[in-house]
Amino acid sequence: MGTFQLSQKDSPADNDETVSDPAVAEAKGPKKPAHRKISIFASVPLSITLMVLMAATILLGAWCPQESQVGQAKVFEAFDRQTAELLVRAGVSDIFHSTWFLALTALMSLNIVVVSFQRVFPKLSGYLKRDMPFFAGREISKLPAHATLVSADSTQTAAILATLSATLTRLGYKVKMDGDRLMAESGRYGRLSASITHVGLLSLMAGISITSWTGFTGFQPVLLGQALNFDDAKHASLWIGKKPDWTAKVESSRRENYPTGEAKQWYSNLSVIKNGKAVKTQEISVNNPLSYDNVDIYQSSWGLDQVVISFNDKERTLSLQSMGQKYAAFLPLDADTMLVLSLNSEGKELRVFGKRREWEAPKLLQVVPVGQSISLGDVQMKFVKVLPITGLQYKCDPGLPVTYVAFIIIMVGIFLAAVPHRHFWCAVEKSDNGALIYLGGTSRKAKVGFERGLDKIKESLSKQFNLVTQTKIEDTP
Amino acid sequence: MTDLQMTLTNTAGLSSVMSLWVFVVSNMSSKFKERAIKVANIVLAIGFVALSVAIVARGIEAERFPLANLYESLLWFAWAIMGGFLFVSRAYGVYQLGWLACLTAAVFFFYGNCLPQSQHDIAPLVPALVSYWRWVHVPPLIVSYAMFFLAGLSGLINLWQSGRLKSLWICISAIVVAGSAIGMGTFSDQYDVHLLQALFMGASLIGPALAFMVLGQINNKVADAPGRARTAEISDDVGFRCVSVGLPLLTFGIITGGLWANHAWGSYWSWDPKESMALVTWLSYAAYIHLRIQRELSAPKMSVVAVIGLLLTLLTYLGFNSLGFGGLHSYGKFKETAPAQTQAK
Repeated sequence: MGTFQLSQKDSPADNDETVSDPAVAEAKGPKKPAHRKISIFASVPLSITLMVLMAATILLGAWCPQESQVGQAKVFEAFDRQTAELLVRAGVSDIFHSTWFLALTALMSLNIVVVSFQRVFPKLSGYLKRDMPFFAGREISKLPAHATLVSADSTQTAAILATLSATLTRLGYKVKMDGDRLMAESGRYGRLSASITHVGLLSLMAGISITSWTGFTGFQPVLLGQALNFDDAKHASLWIGKKPDWTAKVESSRRENYPTGEAKQWYSNLSVIKNGKAVKTQEISVNNPLSYDNVDIYQSSWGLDQVVISFNDKERTLSLQSMGQKYAAFLPLDADTMLVLSLNSEGKELRVFGKRREWEAPKLLQVVPVGQSISLGDVQMKFVKVLPITGLQYKCDPGLPVTYVAFIIIMVGIFLAAVPHRHFWCAVEKSDNGALIYLGGTSRKAKVGFERGLDKIKESLSKQFNLVTQTKIEDTP
Repeated sequence: MTDLQMTLTNTAGLSSVMSLWVFVVSNMSSKFKERAIKVANIVLAIGFVALSVAIVARGIEAERFPLANLYESLLWFAWAIMGGFLFVSRAYGVYQLGWLACLTAAVFFFYGNCLPQSQHDIAPLVPALVSYWRWVHVPPLIVSYAMFFLAGLSGLINLWQSGRLKSLWICISAIVVAGSAIGMGTFSDQYDVHLLQALFMGASLIGPALAFMVLGQINNKVADAPGRARTAEISDDVGFRCVSVGLPLLTFGIITGGLWANHAWGSYWSWDPKESMALVTWLSYAAYIHLRIQRELSAPKMSVVAVIGLLLTLLTYLGFNSLGFGGLHSYGKFKETAPAQTQAK
């Protein structure tokens, strides 16, 4: 593994927080650079390059229809034949399973692990070390945001420090005082952001690994009365779990509509059958899955699949085609005549149409409620039943608890990133004409907000103690 | 849509346009600048309140959380842009961002207004959207997009104030071309979708690349004007703060989306185009944060990075539907009727 030398700025284990802030380091004066050996895989430019490459690859995957999700036909539908063939050959149409993407993922994972242990986590010791230095006036004057106030009365310096201390405490700072010097700090926990986020990322990697090694997923459209099994479950080659030996029978299935006829919800009543016995029954719907034996079964889609009719007591099953909010089956009677059977999503009434070649549109012949018959010439036609099909998605995800914990940790870490870590110093130095009050500080985030706060404190002190500003706050270079 | 809702929404749209002009006029004379800025802020605040009430009224009328289609999400976006600017304006005392924020809000109002009536009408929810997760997952995403827009707009202000006028015009051109591609993709069927995708991506790649290349060319007359350095610094800080707020919200939105997807579909991640685009945006802002904190890139460079982020946000939010990306998140589409079994989130 290659290594390279880092200067003080890049040092990962710089435990002195105040020095890790360049502005504070400048105020404290020169310090001998600390040289530490850092793996090339912990390089920040590498991290950024990988993020950019990963983003570009995912963007490509979002742009091109993915075979694993929608099938190869969609690629040829979206592009002309030549382009589609090129995309398929180049692996763009299945980019999330390509060697390039897997290598990129592996490299990024390695980068996250090495960066976490070599750069991020060592900084935690800096967080625990809370011995902040007190600065003299000369050091405070070197800070990017600073001001010097002049007091003609040197006896009021204690009152000024006490007022400042109270103000900073009110603003959320933790204040320490040492004689005529004051040091305050706020948002220290914001520094935990990187460490917590990286712990979350490592946990996420662990959760995903557990799932991909031991879990399985699948989708199966199941007709009413039939059962879901796990024979076609997708799982990794390193799979070390076992497939369930039970099935889930679809006892009933229905669709609930809005008054306008649009789908509001789909429902399926499932029975878990184990060793020939129903051990659990539950009605599932979208957003309301069934959980049994660490397997979750989801209502994924719904439709009417087949219609059973009888002609003179001879049953025949016809496949239904989805036509927007309706379903239809087509039964050619001869070269010029066709019977069209139409159902709405409730499947309670069958509308029977006739269509001849010379007719512009099909003609409605009869409406048949379920279980009833009509006469079509010499033929007695009965609407026996309609068979709904319910699309069931299932998954076993043993890594999910770890993944969920990782999600929470990442969220906490990234929310902490918005918290600015601020330092504030004050030193009172007596002079022949009274006293000089040096105010200054740093904030690595929200610098302008900090400077506005410093301005307000300065104005408040000036007004309360009749102080004069000696120098104004300088612009940050 | 009731008359009350329409009146309130129109009030918000008009206030964004009026506020935009008052902000622009405020630059013409230092005599009444302060007063004009105050007026512009008040007008914008009135619009913000009107829009807040309009959104609540729509929710009451629809008897559901009012964030279920493209039109409603545009209202939320405009609300977040207006509210975000008012907050930033109060915290930082910035005003130059004001006219850009108002212009953005006005453009989104106009975009929403041009959508077909079916989008304005309150329609029932498809099964996949009937969940409490909708109000947990979607609003943070929309607000994060607005924050990223404000960061990108702050980047434009920074380029202007620091005298990088060539970079500024290139970035503005890139945004206009990308926005036009989205507009054409949304409202017209006569353009080839691949041509529009090429237009968007071309502008997004070539624009920022050129802007980086000419970043060294500074108009000293502009840059050296009194107060410009300070304003540039403030806009840079504002941009970073907006990203600092937007990134946690985007993270929250992506993660809650994963939780919802797992709850509804059995998989928290399925490389759906919308999910993928959200991840691309997240990665780009993660790179922004790393560039900012670890590499301490200069403010003008960070400004161009923020503009790249804005373009990616635009692609994730609107480009996804208007430029012909497919996937499960098809609620924003309105040109074709989704089949009954299409999952939509």
